Amino acid sequence: MTEEALDPLIHAPARLRIVATLAALPEGDALSFTRLQDILQLTPGNLITHLRKLEDAGYLTTEKTGNGTASRTSIGLTGRGRAALEAYTAALRGLLGGL
Amino acid sequence: MNGTHDLEQAADADNGGALNPREAARLLEQTSREARRQFNLSPPLLTALMGGVILVAYGALWLSVREQHPYTGPSLGVIGLVYATVAVAITVSMKVYRRATGGVSGPVARQRTVEGVAILLSYLGSPVLQGALKYYGASDAIVYGVIPAAAPLIIVGTTVAGIAASKADWPQFGAALAVVTGGVAAAFVGPIGAWLVAGIGLFVGVVGYAAATAWQRRAVGNV
Repeated sequence: MTEEALDPLIHAPARLRIVATLAALPEGDALSFTRLQDILQLTPGNLITHLRKLEDAGYLTTEKTGNGTASRTSIGLTGRGRAALEAYTAALRGLLGGL
Repeated sequence: MNGTHDLEQAADADNGGALNPREAARLLEQTSREARRQFNLSPPLLTALMGGVILVAYGALWLSVREQHPYTGPSLGVIGLVYATVAVAITVSMKVYRRATGGVSGPVARQRTVEGVAILLSYLGSPVLQGALKYYGASDAIVYGVIPAAAPLIIVGTTVAGIAASKADWPQFGAALAVVTGGVAAAFVGPIGAWLVAGIGLFVGVVGYAAATAWQRRAVGNV
């Protein structure tokens, strides 16, 4: 097995951390943008860039509720995103010889 | 300029080639562990500490009544100490709860809120029983001894056991069962021994749960 087996969408530090953080939530739950940013300590622009890529791939969904200052964006991992992380983890295990 | 800086950062972070598999595995493990810690409602160390505090509080209650013949109930000083301990425990629990649920939404988060309300309501069972027994002329040994020591463990314990079973959360189910068992035993050892037995039952349940969750957390590894 080579590094090619690693999903390039997840195999980037920021996106790996985003997906791993969202995967720690129970299936179906979502996290607010501000809390995710707070946990990952990423700038808003950086986080948005990576979220857009993951959303385009169908790995996560974003939902905006409310208006103006009361607006809130929630981000949740989709079943496809969870499966992609599991496949990525399995590929890593394969590459590291089960370590 | 800030936007340019952000894009540069994003470009840097996007460079998957800079991340070898071993680094990726470490980053994945660290991030998952930190995320689980952030969303955890019962951190093992804090839960174990709570178990110790509970044992001390119930021990103090037992010490304050063990020489009483006839039984009149715990002294006001000890009751005040127990209330202060409970207040600290609630404050710490609320802080942990806020951190674990802050910004989280969805069906499981809603379910957790409903479960929390059910558990809080179940705490009302013991004072209601005490009031009814006092009304019907039960002795102080029952109203201020056996019931307040044993009933909360049985009522709240069975509520938590039911919730845990519905989610197949077996460590929590086992801990709740230990607490219920402690409550049942406390109900039959008299008003003085009830405090000690209840304290031990709670301690075993809470510390056992802390140990089980710590073991579970260690066993769950991504890579």
